[in-house]
Amino acid sequence: MKRSIIRGNQMRVSNLLTFLFLVTICLNGAFVWAESSSSGRSSETLGEGKDSVMDTNTKSEKIGPVDVEFEMTFNSIETASISDPIQPYNRSIFVFNDKAYYYVVKPMYKGYNKAVPEKARVGVRNFFSNIAMPVRFFNCLFQGEFKGAGTELARFVINTTFGVAGFSDPAKSLFHLEKQNRDFGQTLAKYKIGTGPFVEWPFIGPSSVRDTVGFVGDLALNPLTLLSFFAGPFVSTGVNSYDYMNEVSIDKGETYESITKPAIDPYIALQDAYIQNRIKRIKE
Amino acid sequence: MRYSKIMLVMFIGVFFWAFMSPFAWADDAPGKLVMESIDRGLAVLKEPSLSGAEKVQERRQRLWEEISPVFNFEEMSKRALGVHWKKRSPEEKKEFVELFTDILKNTYIGKTDTYSGEKMEVLRERHDSSYAEVQAKLITNKGTEVSVNYHLVSNHGTWRIYDVVIEGVSLVNNYRSQFNSILLKSSYEELVQRIKEKK
Repeated sequence: MKRSIIRGNQMRVSNLLTFLFLVTICLNGAFVWAESSSSGRSSETLGEGKDSVMDTNTKSEKIGPVDVEFEMTFNSIETASISDPIQPYNRSIFVFNDKAYYYVVKPMYKGYNKAVPEKARVGVRNFFSNIAMPVRFFNCLFQGEFKGAGTELARFVINTTFGVAGFSDPAKSLFHLEKQNRDFGQTLAKYKIGTGPFVEWPFIGPSSVRDTVGFVGDLALNPLTLLSFFAGPFVSTGVNSYDYMNEVSIDKGETYESITKPAIDPYIALQDAYIQNRIKRIKE
Repeated sequence: MRYSKIMLVMFIGVFFWAFMSPFAWADDAPGKLVMESIDRGLAVLKEPSLSGAEKVQERRQRLWEEISPVFNFEEMSKRALGVHWKKRSPEEKKEFVELFTDILKNTYIGKTDTYSGEKMEVLRERHDSSYAEVQAKLITNKGTEVSVNYHLVSNHGTWRIYDVVIEGVSLVNNYRSQFNSILLKSSYEELVQRIKEKK
């Protein structure tokens, strides 16, 4: 009797998986078709493309002179800057974060690196990133990126099944479905919400008022947050800090060092790098 | 019908390519320059006779000799100082270029010590007669892709890099933000002092 119930459950699970698999194949087919039709279009215009080599001037004028005239004026300096009314407070948090990084986080991840091979750490990153799929999926929808949302859905299905619960990323390596890095901060920016003042958060690092709201929005969309309701805040914090440390151990730590070490004023260097990087991501 | 249309387009394409190429590709220099410099740099990093911890200084020196001619350090310094550049005397400018070059040399050449098989790919380039942008990507051995854009300026037909933009973060703009912030509160002499302390 019990056995048949289990078998029934297994049947249901396998039916579900088959269904998801078929959906994936269909979605993937649609994307391949969409991509090939668009690339087909571009290859047909190859003839025209050739003579556009001649008028690269008109095209590249956008990057050339504009760029330069701009950069040498005072205004452009303002464009990449952010208001920082609470700089003394932010600076003290920065000093705290920097110390915490060198005296706590770094020694910890160095040990972790020795114990866990890189491949496994990248696997863990993929696993957490796969779980956080709803964050990217919903933000794609909010931003009107329906193709991106479809890609995320397809990635989730492929990586959860073939990628063994998301530890590997066959969606990228086999199906060329790139991860859509969309967050709620970008969504807010798309709806013309201003950056707001700069804020440096303990442990989290540089952010702005808008991106802080975005961060909270993303937390609400992240299934890992549900863990704190079911398994209690302690487990949830543990899992989140493990994810955090794993990220730092792969490349976040290196990035932090490569920005702050060569800097004359590391606080400003990190702030500026954060803003420039955010501008690029919002433009994408 | 469709087939003949494709043939026509292809014919036009080949026609244009054959006739335009000497002109169109003649100033293809920026992309090629970046590509070749990366290749020369990687060759130094991969050279067996220069590998190992004890050869660090020799390797850094060789790399610097191969790579530095491609950069226009004066242009970089000028842009990093921004509006403050004009107020400086020729001697101060010269000193600043040297200091700034040293910072870039010490920090970025040192970063190559941990080279472990990363790959660079040049994706595309756009340019007019005096400015160019070469878009490339760095593929780390963890499989992460990092976008790297080189901005070049032409001086009588010689292309030189004046800015490197990594994941949207411009190297020159990053230093300009720092210099500006320092110069808001303190004098130029103090800035120079801080740069010297950095060395």
